[in-house]
Amino acid sequence: MELKILENIEIAQNTFSLKIDNPNLFDALAGQFFMVRINGFNYPLLRRPFSIADFNENYIEIIYRVVGEGTKILTKKKAGEFIDILGPLGNGFSDIGTGKKIFLVGGGIGVAPLIYLKNVIESQYRLPYKAYFGFNFKEEIYVDFGEIATMDGSVGFNGNVVDLVEKELDENSIVFACGPTLMLKRLAYVCYDKNCKMQVSLESRMACGIGVCLGCVVETQDGYKKVCDNGPVFDYREIVWQAL
Amino acid sequence: MASSVNLTVKLGNIIFKNPVLTASGTFGYGIEYQKYLDLDKLGGFVTKGLSVVEKQGNKPPRIIETPCGMLNAIGLQNIGVDKFIFEKLPKLKDVNTHIIANIYGSEVSEFVELTEKLNEQDNISALEINVSCPNVAQGGALFGKDPDNVFVLTSAIKKVSKKPIIVKLTPNVDDIAFIAQAAQSAGADAVSLINTITGMVIDTKTKKPFLANKTGGLSGPAIYPVGVRMVYEVYEKIKIPIIGVGGIYNSNVALQYLMAGASLIQIGTANFVKPDISKEIIEGIRTYLDEEGFKSVSDIIGIAHN
Repeated sequence: MELKILENIEIAQNTFSLKIDNPNLFDALAGQFFMVRINGFNYPLLRRPFSIADFNENYIEIIYRVVGEGTKILTKKKAGEFIDILGPLGNGFSDIGTGKKIFLVGGGIGVAPLIYLKNVIESQYRLPYKAYFGFNFKEEIYVDFGEIATMDGSVGFNGNVVDLVEKELDENSIVFACGPTLMLKRLAYVCYDKNCKMQVSLESRMACGIGVCLGCVVETQDGYKKVCDNGPVFDYREIVWQAL
Repeated sequence: MASSVNLTVKLGNIIFKNPVLTASGTFGYGIEYQKYLDLDKLGGFVTKGLSVVEKQGNKPPRIIETPCGMLNAIGLQNIGVDKFIFEKLPKLKDVNTHIIANIYGSEVSEFVELTEKLNEQDNISALEINVSCPNVAQGGALFGKDPDNVFVLTSAIKKVSKKPIIVKLTPNVDDIAFIAQAAQSAGADAVSLINTITGMVIDTKTKKPFLANKTGGLSGPAIYPVGVRMVYEVYEKIKIPIIGVGGIYNSNVALQYLMAGASLIQIGTANFVKPDISKEIIEGIRTYLDEEGFKSVSDIIGIAHN
């Protein structure tokens, strides 16, 4: 569906916020994603999967990092132009109101879907939560809540966000996490140790986003599952972390 | 639609309402696309390659984008023919289009078993024999690169099949027309070409091939001139119908395949980009024929040879 761009601005180093007019024709869950067509040509060919950083009656927000030629071209899009999006796709986060202590743990661009999740927790569930976000350095930070860890120590905790959150977790915790694979893997081992619950939103290269290309699979206890339509959110106990 | 252009195409005794099919491996089992597209509009669709038993496929990473294309090494992950028959086909019983089952085996006996199982399914119109997958260790292109193997396999399937047989050919050979002739001699009702072109992408960070399978099959707009050229060559050597496939992303490219000699075309990778692209392509073909004063799509099949 072709929707109007309201804003496409750099909000942190190499990180852009793309706000798209919400036609109010569908709902979207935190953790779901859109397949975005960069332009109407054959280069770049494939749509890009982007998580939802916010969704309200006025706009859909996507926060993306410039990692390759596709996202570089996307930064040139201006307010008033139209963009072709497919979705929302995938399953989204679930079991938010389980009575467990809620933790949002994100790293880098993986913080984006947790911003929408935070808004949902605040507006629909009215539950307390704690948020922990990791970035490499100060200039990358694009979030204005939660405790921050930076790898260079320029803001907040000096080191990895997993080390920052570890001591807070116990069997009464439920973690919603998204971030680089290595961060999630370390977090998964911590959650196994502490016997807490966790849902992870995974990233993968996809061609279609609708369950047919089978390009995005991840190894689980039940064999390969599709990140696009069996996920992108999985119970961390399902994932074969050694394979990642 | 006011136009009176006749888009129907015959393949053996099957009549397709238009020449546009969707390609195996890019269209799931059809059901996945019902949210985006009225399947009844299609000439038909080809299922994901089915094997005797479920296949897990290759280790990830399985895909990587390339300029105007993509490389894939899925490895024929599929649910197996029995699950397809019992779980997917019943959901397609009200669909008014031709369903072509793509089948894959590592030995002749597996292809025969698949053919026998699908013989009994009334809503399967034809079988497409995959002798061209570049991403599996056994079978696949190992059959398709050798004309003798193609002859033996096609003959064995023809002997048991109650349905028309389409042999899908690999472009990764010296002379694709020679392989097509072998399929024709063995009684194939049609050939489809091309499957993907073998390629490789190396990740300069890890200094290793990007795909876990190392090589993959290149598809997408980048490859269409190769497909058109091969259809053109094969058309001059065989009498059975050709189904053109490879990089079709708009009606202009679809028309090029038809003019090169394809009776029908298949849309593959473009389905990933735009799930309802086939509808646009059907309308584009109709509009072109109407504007150019052709009464029927059959008037342009192979016209580039005149």
